[in-house]
Amino acid sequence: MSLADNIKKARYRWFPDHIVGEVLSKSWIDNAIPFTIMVIVVGIIGTLLPNFFTGSNISILARQYGELALVVLAMTTVILVGGIDLSVGSVFALGNFMMLYFLNLAEFSVTQSALLVVLICGSVGLVNGILVGYLRLRAFLTTLVTLIIVRAIVDLLLLEFAQDMSMSFYSSPLWDLMGLGSVWVFPFSFVVLAVIAIVAHITISRSGPGWRLQAIGGSRRSAHNMGLPVRRIVCSAYVISGMLAGIAGILYASRLSGAGTDTGLGLEVLALTAAILGGNSLGGGRGSVSKALMGTVTILVLTNGVLRLGLNSGSGPMVLGLALIFAVFVDVRWMKNRHKLLSKVYVSPTLMEMPKAQSTEDGPFEINNRLSDVDVIALGEVESPEDVILDEDDNLYSGNRHGDIIRYFPPDYKTHEVYAKIGGAPLGMSFDKDSNLLVCVGGMGLYMVAKADRKVSLVTDETNRSMFSIVDDSRLRLADDLDIAPDGKIYFSEATVRYEMHDWPVDALESRGNGRIICYDPATKTTRTVVRNLVFPNGICTAHDGKSILFAESWACQIKRYWLEGPQKGKTEIVLDKLPGYPDNINRASDGTYWVAIMGMRSPALDLALKMPAFRRRMARRIAADQWLFPNLNIGCVARFDDSGEVIESLWDRYGKNHPMITSMREHKGWLYLGGITNNRIGRVRLPGREESWTGWSSYWGAKSGRKS
Amino acid sequence: MKWNSLKKAALIVVAGASLANAAIAQETNDPFRGPALESLKGKWIAYLPISAGFDLAQAWGGVIKEESERYGMKFTIQDPNWSTDAMAQGMTSLIAERPDVIVTQNPDTQSLARLMVQANRAGIAVVQMNMAGAVQTDAFVGPDYIALGNRLANMAIEKCGAGTDTSHKVSIVQGVITGGVSYFQVQGIMEVLSQRDDIEIVSSQAADWDATKARAITETVLQQHPDLCAILDMWDGQAIGTGAAVKQAGLADSVSVITSGGGAKSTCDLIRDETFDVVVNYDAPGMGRDAWTSIMIALQNGGGGKLKTQIFSPTYVMTSENVDKATCWDPERYASRLR
Amino acid sequence: MKNRIKLSNLSQEKIVLLITIAMFVVFSFVLEGFLGASNILALLRSVAVLGVLGLGMLIVVLGRGIDLSMVANMAISVAWTIQLVSTGTPLGLAMAIGFTFALSMSLITGILVAYAEIPAIFATLAMGSFIYGFGRAYLITGTDVVYLPASFGWASQIGQGRLWGIPIPIYLAAAMALLVYLFLRFSKHGWNSYNIGDNTPASRITGIGVRPTIVLQYMLSGTMTYVAGLITATAVQSMNTRIVNSNMIYDVILIVVLGGVSLSGGRGNVRNVIVGTLLIGVLVNGMTILDIQYTIQNVIKSLILLVAIVADSIINPRDEQTGQQGDI
Repeated sequence: MSLADNIKKARYRWFPDHIVGEVLSKSWIDNAIPFTIMVIVVGIIGTLLPNFFTGSNISILARQYGELALVVLAMTTVILVGGIDLSVGSVFALGNFMMLYFLNLAEFSVTQSALLVVLICGSVGLVNGILVGYLRLRAFLTTLVTLIIVRAIVDLLLLEFAQDMSMSFYSSPLWDLMGLGSVWVFPFSFVVLAVIAIVAHITISRSGPGWRLQAIGGSRRSAHNMGLPVRRIVCSAYVISGMLAGIAGILYASRLSGAGTDTGLGLEVLALTAAILGGNSLGGGRGSVSKALMGTVTILVLTNGVLRLGLNSGSGPMVLGLALIFAVFVDVRWMKNRHKLLSKVYVSPTLMEMPKAQSTEDGPFEINNRLSDVDVIALGEVESPEDVILDEDDNLYSGNRHGDIIRYFPPDYKTHEVYAKIGGAPLGMSFDKDSNLLVCVGGMGLYMVAKADRKVSLVTDETNRSMFSIVDDSRLRLADDLDIAPDGKIYFSEATVRYEMHDWPVDALESRGNGRIICYDPATKTTRTVVRNLVFPNGICTAHDGKSILFAESWACQIKRYWLEGPQKGKTEIVLDKLPGYPDNINRASDGTYWVAIMGMRSPALDLALKMPAFRRRMARRIAADQWLFPNLNIGCVARFDDSGEVIESLWDRYGKNHPMITSMREHKGWLYLGGITNNRIGRVRLPGREESWTGWSSYWGAKSGRKS
Repeated sequence: MKWNSLKKAALIVVAGASLANAAIAQETNDPFRGPALESLKGKWIAYLPISAGFDLAQAWGGVIKEESERYGMKFTIQDPNWSTDAMAQGMTSLIAERPDVIVTQNPDTQSLARLMVQANRAGIAVVQMNMAGAVQTDAFVGPDYIALGNRLANMAIEKCGAGTDTSHKVSIVQGVITGGVSYFQVQGIMEVLSQRDDIEIVSSQAADWDATKARAITETVLQQHPDLCAILDMWDGQAIGTGAAVKQAGLADSVSVITSGGGAKSTCDLIRDETFDVVVNYDAPGMGRDAWTSIMIALQNGGGGKLKTQIFSPTYVMTSENVDKATCWDPERYASRLR
Repeated sequence: MKNRIKLSNLSQEKIVLLITIAMFVVFSFVLEGFLGASNILALLRSVAVLGVLGLGMLIVVLGRGIDLSMVANMAISVAWTIQLVSTGTPLGLAMAIGFTFALSMSLITGILVAYAEIPAIFATLAMGSFIYGFGRAYLITGTDVVYLPASFGWASQIGQGRLWGIPIPIYLAAAMALLVYLFLRFSKHGWNSYNIGDNTPASRITGIGVRPTIVLQYMLSGTMTYVAGLITATAVQSMNTRIVNSNMIYDVILIVVLGGVSLSGGRGNVRNVIVGTLLIGVLVNGMTILDIQYTIQNVIKSLILLVAIVADSIINPRDEQTGQQGDI
């Protein structure tokens, strides 16, 4: 093997291509750009200013941060609901003035004054809210008008009272704590912010009112049509905004104790900029408290840094303008292209060297026509019977595409009924000891249909999360087939953790070990992952001796064994490989061997492509999905093999007339029943010379007492 | 002037020589000079005006910077660009960084007051330029604004008082009403005018140091009172708008624009073209010198508010008669030093 | 019933026009000196600058944009012109340079909005900050007020002169209004501005060069900006770059919206801007004569605007079904 091949192998073995796509698909990646911008800004300013990272400086910034972030939160609340509140700056100034007025001239206590101020500012918000929410005026204009009016009112008040106030100097322990003091190491205003931010975060992300707020921001029309009280909620957002701006004004008053005509001037622009820089989108629907907080850090550090760098007049605003253009540009591009990028990089094929397949010219896989005279059951009445199973009373069960389990009645199976409605797509099935039907449902998990009352119940839909997995692999995406060990533990396969059921061909294109075997223990009701990184694990079957389970790795064209006990316990070994096609379900045969369905045959073109991951990646990025190379799932066969991995025989439908596509088969009383996921029928073929009384259930759980003669 | 700079140059040579050659050259025998120089050397002056973009701040800063560099001091400047909040941020950060002197200018009497007390407590000397705050620190440097207000009022009385053939109507254009310059000047004006019943104050509004706003206000006033006699404006930079409105209304001859300012070249030009009639000049470079003096006093006495001084800068009246003899300075000269 | 139908025909523009006329009539009777020719001219002169800026804003708003950089662009481009003249550059050349500066800044703004797809409100906000900063850092490095030198010559008549007794700013504003009217009414790009404002994706599909048109809109706004700046500077004999910190841009938005131009694009014409400008003019002038304080004038101005938009929303209600998503 050449060096280049080894490098290629090592690269695909160790380099985690799939991580990029998985990271991009996370919802928190929405914050990536704002976060990066924040880190860059803090980094640059921190490097330029020598004592930026000292404790005292951080605490100073934190005090100002508390005030600014409250105003940004006010703005964010309104932006979330699809509006804008330009009046925050003026309300802030009003809050500041009123606080000083109450303390200095009206001689109220700090608490009384603060409550009054919040009330006053809240009522300004209420005016906005009534105008925008109930009268449905345009938010931009309305709050622009209130901005001007409130500002003018503050100016008038200043004209009236400023001279009386300007030389008085209120002081009390609480007031000094608010303005100058700290709670432990955190400045007072920062503590206030922290409390409000936590409450706001929980409200927005985890409570009904928060969700309704976002729903209205996302689409006011839909929210209205589904019956949300749109007007009331919009109105309350403005009230909250006014109150938050008022609290910020109080904190500002406590820090500086000064009221001037330019207090809070242009604050609305600063707050808006911070909110947008953090990644909240104007127009509503997308936003969070953490975004607001990040944006505030960026803007505060930027404005403060630019001021302290002592650049000449003009450079400050210039840098600010450039930074803003750059940040918004990157964010806009990111929002626009993220999904394109994701669809390009999520599919990350890996290197897969397929061994030469066993011949179908001669040997056990030699093509024959033994399935040509299959009896056809329920032709045109069933869609996608992935798996078939029979109970002790010879009833035949299969799933269908519509999410039901159908029961067919013996002896000729001409009639059938809906046995149970599951909802998802039923795949592999098994009967437990009490004849309850366990079924793997794609996209939903493991379910059970009780024998007694046909009640459908969830067995498990989650497992333990892997430590370093980026995709959330605790949820079951594609539970495929199951079997039950003698001790009652249920082993089931999950074909892939990266794709939903209908995207299975894409997983084939990747051919990475995305799947796993999971075990559910009914005794403890716990679920845990047993084997990881399997290439589309599919059929699963407990060995006849009950000491191991066999499972098929479809895209790897091999069957493996996982030891449940014995000296090899917990280990995996290959039983059968070099299959000429993709193995699917495995089930027991009456003579101590196993049946395996080969759902499709390998093709040289795809085998070659599997050796060329870069080629497949290019294919996935550049051409439409319907033109990709896919595994062939049109024709296959049923094969029988024994515990040593020896293939004994195979059954084919050479001309593809009656039952070409097979994903499952069950032997039952001398017959072999066939299911196929793309079929509209179930097949049944007579197996000459096999034990006529053998059933699957009895093979697992022993003969039922009193039945066997 | 020339003599002054010669003296300075000589001082540099002497100082430089003495410092460099102290060990080997002949000792100079001024026993007080050494400690004085020592108290200045390596100290840090942080300059924080309301904006670095207007004539007064440029003149003050220019003078202080030049002097401070002469004595091996560090000089930094921040430009809050007329934003009180940015100023407070800058001040707060400065307190944490512990410069030795902060030279600042209160945007209003209160906003920086708490911070200045903090700075003093932290041992930082604080010099307030022109705009006094609600607390006293190491030094306030600026004209005695109450007296200046008296003076403006008396000039208005002279022009429009009972003995004159005018409407006796006077209008006042305030700056930022809580700003020290406006606040005390108006007090000074009212002190005089409130005792006179011959003068009618028809309007007293705030233009927030903004010429455009001053113009709008004055236009309004002139439309109501085209017979107005005089307008008292708190600052020449703002009075440009006031004067322009008067000129625009074609009333430049009958309405006197009386104001005060730092005496930059533009002010002299505006007196020449009769936009202003009277300007009380408090000579900004001179104030720079006063500020420098107060810095030296503070540093040599330990700073941090140990000595608290009001330094009232000299003023003189400029009219079209004496404007050509007055020294009008070019802000660009000082601005370029600050860059 | 008949009344109702009539009422619903009232657009915001008509409401504002009615208010304006009503106020004009009331003021004419009540206020001494209001109806005099000199006062009417003063009234018009005082709103000429706002009107010209409003025209620029109109063009941009039609295409769903907004230009918050106007005041900064105006201050810096004109201040630089004045500075160049003071340092000896010939007047014509200086004005050409200043105009080119204003145009290129608005060109950049247009590119940021149209090609980089940055929302107009932020692109122009940031550009405003950038233009001011750049100007103060590299062009106007001295004081923030630049005074008109004597060598400004004939150009100082732009703000101060009169022709046949009528102040020149009024002529200029009228000329600009005519120009914008012709552009919107008869030029392809003018029509396309409406189409883009009505439905941007559809305009793109039908083959309209959406992006170049948007850039053109901003450049026209830049042109208006420079004209307005010249009027302002020559009227006060100086250009104060601190004007950037003022609320002026809000006043511009106010007159545009007051006249009935829709901020969500596609609706509005020169008539709307004129109506809005006149209302503010009559209002301010009347209040001035009534000796109402400058600050209270602001309150009254805003209240009138509020009344206009409330009336509009009552007569032409918007509700959750008709409201456009993302329209703030």
